[in-house]
Amino acid sequence: MLYSIIFPLLNSMPGLSGYVFPNEYELHWSILIVIYPYLTGLVAGAFILASLERVFKVSALKPIYRLSLLTALSFMIIAPLPLLAHLGHPERSFEMFLTPHTASAMAMFGFVYAWYLMVVLLLEIWFDYRKDIVIWSNEKKGIVKYFYKLLTLGATDISEKAVAFDHKIGRVITIIGIPSAFLLHGYVGFIFGSIKANPWWSSVLIPIVFLFSAIVSGIALMLLVYMITSMVRWTTMSMKCLNKLAEFLLYAMLIDFSLETLDFIHRLYESEESISILSEMISSRLFISLIITQIIIGSLMPMLGLVFARFGKLPDELRRMIYFISAILVQVGIFSTRWNVVIGGQLFSKSLRGLTTYKLDIFGIEGLLVSIALLIAPIGILWVLTKILPPWNEMGKVQKEVAKMSATESV
Amino acid sequence: MSKIPQQIIPIVIILMIVVGSFIAAKNIFVPSSFGEQGHFRTEAIQENMDLEQVYAGADACYDCHDDVAEIKSDSYHKGLSCEVCHGPASQHVEAPDEFIPDAPRGRGYCPLCHGYNPSRPSGFPQINPERHNPGKACMSCHDPHNPLLPHAPEECSACHQEIASVKIVSHHATLPCTQCHTIEKGHKTSPKFSKAHKPIDNSTCAYCHEKGSTIKKAAPKINVELHSDRYLCWDCHYPHYPEAF
Ligand code: HEC
Ligand code: HEC
Ligand code: HEC
Ligand code: HEC
Ligand code: HEC
Ligand code: HEC
Ligand code: HEC
Ligand code: HEC
Repeated sequence: MLYSIIFPLLNSMPGLSGYVFPNEYELHWSILIVIYPYLTGLVAGAFILASLERVFKVSALKPIYRLSLLTALSFMIIAPLPLLAHLGHPERSFEMFLTPHTASAMAMFGFVYAWYLMVVLLLEIWFDYRKDIVIWSNEKKGIVKYFYKLLTLGATDISEKAVAFDHKIGRVITIIGIPSAFLLHGYVGFIFGSIKANPWWSSVLIPIVFLFSAIVSGIALMLLVYMITSMVRWTTMSMKCLNKLAEFLLYAMLIDFSLETLDFIHRLYESEESISILSEMISSRLFISLIITQIIIGSLMPMLGLVFARFGKLPDELRRMIYFISAILVQVGIFSTRWNVVIGGQLFSKSLRGLTTYKLDIFGIEGLLVSIALLIAPIGILWVLTKILPPWNEMGKVQKEVAKMSATESV
Repeated sequence: MSKIPQQIIPIVIILMIVVGSFIAAKNIFVPSSFGEQGHFRTEAIQENMDLEQVYAGADACYDCHDDVAEIKSDSYHKGLSCEVCHGPASQHVEAPDEFIPDAPRGRGYCPLCHGYNPSRPSGFPQINPERHNPGKACMSCHDPHNPLLPHAPEECSACHQEIASVKIVSHHATLPCTQCHTIEKGHKTSPKFSKAHKPIDNSTCAYCHEKGSTIKKAAPKINVELHSDRYLCWDCHYPHYPEAF
C-alpha cells in the first residue's frame, strides 16, 4: 500500500502540462477502479490454481486446493464492492440485472459475476466439503450443530457412492470453471481493451495480458496465504507444494512478461500518433509506477529470485524466504500494473498534447482509507471462512503424506 | 444410475428458487411498458407530456413587456429567451400581479455564461468574475437587456482569452496579435460586423522565419520553400503556440 501513497505524491509535483481538455483535468476513474481488476484478478488466479490440482491432477498442490477455493470466494465477495462504492447510486445497480442492455459489456458483467460466484465457486466448494459438513453436523454441539445441519441442505448421504458422485460433479464444475474464470478476468480486460478512443487501453492483447497477470497474482497470493497460514498454525509446509507453486508462478510470469513486452514493441513499431504523448507519460508520470515498480521491482526481481531459489542449490529456509519475498514483490508489481492501466489511461489528454495528474484523497469514499479497507476485507472473510470450513481438516491426513514426501524429497 | 442422487435435489431447488425469484423480480420491478419502443419505459413519454408546463415561451412576454422586448431584440442578448434569466414564468403570464418572476440580480448569475472557460468558442465574451470589477453588481454597468459595453475593450484578450492565454506562454509571446491579423475598424466593438482577417499564405511567417530575414534575430531561420513544401505553415505549427516538435 505504501507506494500508492508515494506515487500520487511524486506524480502530483508536475501538475498539468501541455493542453488538456477542460473535462479531463480531473480523473473520473479513481483508485477504486484500480482495486476492482486487482481483486478479480486474484479470484481468477486462485481459482485457476485450484483447478490445476483437480483437473490436471498436480498432486503436489493438494495442500492448497481447498485453501485456494476459499481464498477465491473471499476475494470474490469483496470484488464488486469498489465498483458499487464508485457509483453515485449503487442501489440502482440491480436494475442492470432486470433490464440488461445486451450491447453493453458493463451490463453483462453482472451475469458473468453471478454465474461465476453461484454456479462455479459456491457449488464447487459445497460439493467438495459436503462430506465434512455432514460429519461436523453430527459431531458438533449446540447452535453450531444446527448451522452445519443447515449447510448440508438436507443432503446427509455420505455413502461411498454419494461421495464418489460429489467428486465426479466437482470435477465437472471445475472443468466448466476454468473457462468461466478466464471469462471473468478476460472480460475485465475486455472492458478496457475495447475502448477504442483511448490509445493506452485499446488493444486486443489487453484481455490476454489481464488474464495472465491474474494467474500470476493468484499464484503469488496462494503462495503467501499458504506460507502465512502454515506459520500461524505452526505446521510444516510442504516444500514440494511450494516448489511447484514457485515453478508455476515463474512460468506464468514469463508468459505475462513476454505478452506485455510484445504489446509494448507492437505499439512502438506501429507508432501511431499517440506514441509521443504515451512515451512522455511513461517517462514522466508513470516512471515510478511502470518502470520501477511494475517492471523492475514487480517483474524482473521476483523472476530472478524465483529462478535462483527454485533451481539453485539452496537450503529450504532460504528458499522459502526468497519465495515469500518474491510473492510480495509480485503483488506490488501486479497492483502497479492495474494502477498503470487504469490511472495511466486517464493521465493523458485525448488532444494527445497534454498530461494531467491524479490526486489520491485520503478520506472520502474514493480515498486511500476506503481502499485499504477493501484490500484487507477479503483477508478477514478468509479468516472467518477457514473457521467455518477448515481447509486443513483434510490436510490432517495430507500432513502425514507431506511429512513423508518432505523426508524423501531431494529437490 | 436410476435414482437421482440425494445432493442434487437441494441444488435444483435452490436453483429454481434463484431463477424463480429472478423472474418474479423482473415481473414486479420492470415497468410494464419497458421495451415496447426501445430500451426505455414507453410510459415515460406520456408522463413527461402530462407534466405541467412551467415555461410560457418568449412570445408570451411581448404583449405586456414590449418595451423590454424591443430593447433586447436588437442587443447582444437577442438570442436569449426571457425565461433563461427570469426562470419559468407561465404562472406570471396567467396572473401577473400574484406571481412575480425573479430577476437574477446577484453577481453569481451572469458568469454562468460569461465566466472564463477554455472550452467556450473563440470570441465569446468572457470575464474572470473575481477580477472583473469585483464588488459591484453587473447591472450597475451592463443593462441585462442590452448589454452594451461601457467602452470598447482595449485588448484582444478581452474576448479571445483562450488564444491569448496560450500565446502568452509560447515562443510567440512577444508578437502582437496584429502582427499576423489585420483587423477591420470596429472589430473590438461589433465583432460580428467588422471582421478580423486570418493570414492567407506563408508570407506572414516567412517575414520573420525566412533565411536571411533580419526582422527578428531570435526567430529560428528556415528555407521556407523547402521546409513547408506545398503546405501552409499552420497545417503543422499551431501559430499561437508554435512547436518545433
Ligand atoms: C399579462 C401581462 C404580462 C405578461 C404576459 C407578462 N408579464 Fe411580466 N409583469 C406584468 C406586470 C403587470 C408586472 C408588474 C408587477 C408588479 O410590479 O407588481 C410584471 C413584472 C415583471 C417582472 C418584474 C420583476 C421585478 O423584479 O421587478 C419581470 C421580471 C417580468 N414581469 C417578466 C415577465 C416574463 C419573463 C414574461 C414572459 C414569460 C412576462 N413577464 C409576461 C405583466 C405581464
Ligand atoms: C440576460 C438575462 C436576462 C434576460 C434574457 C432578460 N432579462 Fe429581464 N431582467 C434581467 C435582470 C438581471 C433584471 C434586473 C435588472 C435591474 O434590477 O436593474 C431584469 C429586469 C426585468 C424587468 C424589470 C423591470 C426592468 O425593466 O428593469 C422586466 C419587466 C424584465 N426584466 C422583463 C424581461 C423580458 C420580457 C425579457 C425577454 C424579452 C427579459 N426580461 C429578458 C435579466 C434578463
Ligand atoms: C444564457 C447565457 C447568457 C447569460 C445568462 C448572460 N449572457 Fe451575456 N451574452 C450571451 C450571449 C450569447 C452573448 C452574445 C455573444 C456574441 O454575440 O457572440 C452575450 C453578450 C453579452 C455582452 C456583450 C459583450 C460584447 O462583446 O460586447 C455583455 C456585456 C453581456 N453579455 C453581459 C451579460 C450580463 C451582465 C449578464 C447577466 C445579467 C449576462 N450577460 C447573462 C449569453 C448570456
Ligand atoms: C464597474 C463597471 C462594471 C461592472 C460592475 C461589471 N462590468 Fe463587465 N465590463 C465593464 C467594462 C468597462 C467592460 C469593457 C471591457 C474591458 O475594458 O474590460 C466590460 C466587459 C464585459 C464583458 C465583455 C467581455 C470583454 O471584456 O469584452 C462581459 C461579458 C462582462 N463585462 C460581464 C460582466 C459581468 C458578468 C459582470 C458581473 C459579474 C460585470 N461585467 C460587471 C464594466 C463593468
Ligand atoms: C468585443 C470582443 C472582441 C474583441 C475585443 C476582439 N474580438 Fe476578434 N472576434 C470576436 C468575435 C465575437 C469573433 C467571431 C466573429 C464571427 O464568428 O463572426 C471574433 C473573430 C476573430 C477572428 C477570427 C475570424 C475568423 O474568420 O475566424 C480573428 C482572427 C480575431 N477575432 C482577431 C482579433 C484580434 C487580433 C483582436 C484584437 C485587435 C480582436 N479579435 C478583438 C470578438 C472580439
Ligand atoms: C504568428 C502569427 C499570429 C499571431 C501573433 C496571432 N495569430 Fe491568430 N492566427 C494566426 C493564423 C495563421 C491563424 C489561422 C489558423 C488556421 O486557420 O488554422 C490564426 C487564427 C486565429 C483565430 C481564428 C481561429 C481560432 O483559432 O480560433 C483567432 C480568433 C485568432 N487567430 C486570434 C488571435 C489573437 C487574439 C491573437 C493575439 C493574442 C493572435 N491571433 C495572434 C496567426 C497568428
Ligand atoms: C514577427 C516575427 C515572427 C513572425 C511573423 C512569426 N514568427 Fe515564429 N518565431 C518568432 C520568434 C522571435 C521565435 C523564437 C522565439 C524564442 O525562441 O524565444 C519564433 C519561433 C517559432 C517557431 C519555433 C518554436 C520552437 O519550438 O523553437 C516556430 C515553429 C514558429 N515560430 C512558427 C511560426 C509560424 C508558423 C509563423 C506564421 C504563422 C510564424 N512563426 C510567424 C517570430 C516570428
Ligand atoms: C509538413 C509540416 C510542416 C510545415 C508545412 C511547416 N513546418 Fe516548420 N517544422 C516542421 C517540423 C517537423 C519541424 C521540426 C523538425 C525540423 O527542425 O525540421 C519544424 C521546425 C520549424 C522551425 C524551427 C526550426 C529550428 O531550427 O528550430 C521553424 C521556425 C519552422 N518550422 C517554421 C515554419 C514556417 C515559417 C513554415 C511555413 C513556411 C513551416 N514551418 C511549415 C514541420 C512543418
